Amino acid sequence: MTEFLETTVDKFRFKVATDRYYSSEGLWAQELGNRIRIGLTDFLQQRSGDVAFAEVKPDGTELAVGDEVATIETIKVNISLTSPVKGKIVEVNPNMETTPEAINQDPYGGGWLAVIEPADWKTDQAALLDPQAYFTLMKGQAEEEAKKL
Amino acid sequence: MTDERNVVIVPCSGIGKTYGTVSREAAYDVTEGLRPADTQLVALSLLVLGDEAARAAVAENPAITIDGCKLACAAKMVRQSGGTVAHEVAVLDVYRRYKQFKPQGIAQLNEGGQQLARALAEEIAGVVDDLSAAGNGGQNG
Repeated sequence: MTEFLETTVDKFRFKVATDRYYSSEGLWAQELGNRIRIGLTDFLQQRSGDVAFAEVKPDGTELAVGDEVATIETIKVNISLTSPVKGKIVEVNPNMETTPEAINQDPYGGGWLAVIEPADWKTDQAALLDPQAYFTLMKGQAEEEAKKL
Repeated sequence: MTDERNVVIVPCSGIGKTYGTVSREAAYDVTEGLRPADTQLVALSLLVLGDEAARAAVAENPAITIDGCKLACAAKMVRQSGGTVAHEVAVLDVYRRYKQFKPQGIAQLNEGGQQLARALAEEIAGVVDDLSAAGNGGQNG
């Protein structure tokens, strides 16, 4: 069962799952055997707003770290999401086509974006943030956002 | 508001939000253009303030709520005011069906926003017709 680090900033509560790694942009990468599942963090989905549409690159797409892996359109913004992992997309979450609101409802579970067959996971992993490091970064970002309210 | 029993339309009051503007434009379109004889507009802010006439309108008539975000303030306030939500609409759900009408702007909607508001208004007009045909237009619930 996934455990979370949690914090409340202003009236918003944010969770960080402890069983995966993070990019500073707010994407997570979770090891599933020899593959990596990716998705948006709770903070990124809350900051972005309700998702109207999500388009993920198709199966077979080769990605370098930083390449666009998906775009989402929310009630506030259009966002280009970049891959935290180098490799090939081997599975796309079918929910993204039909019920992209899964990103808002269950960002660490049913709202995942894609599964990637990594080319060099150890190298990519070393460049990502562990849960505590992302939690600290995210909390700072959330506090900065709260000052704008 | 009038003494006639009809369908109450309660849009989102999200001032400064594009989807809130779409909800209000659609509500105006229904109550002033498409079905003026069968509907009345109730401002969400009046329900929040506890305005007696607004509370009476939602208590005595079926309501269609139009919400701009998942907080669903319009639907919640109608229920808290003793009313019955006969039909609940979220602008985002409608937009997912009309992807070609991307809404932008706040005080003044872009063309996509206006088209989305029109499509939403037409859907609501259909619901008003259904409620009226079912004889629910004059009864609560």
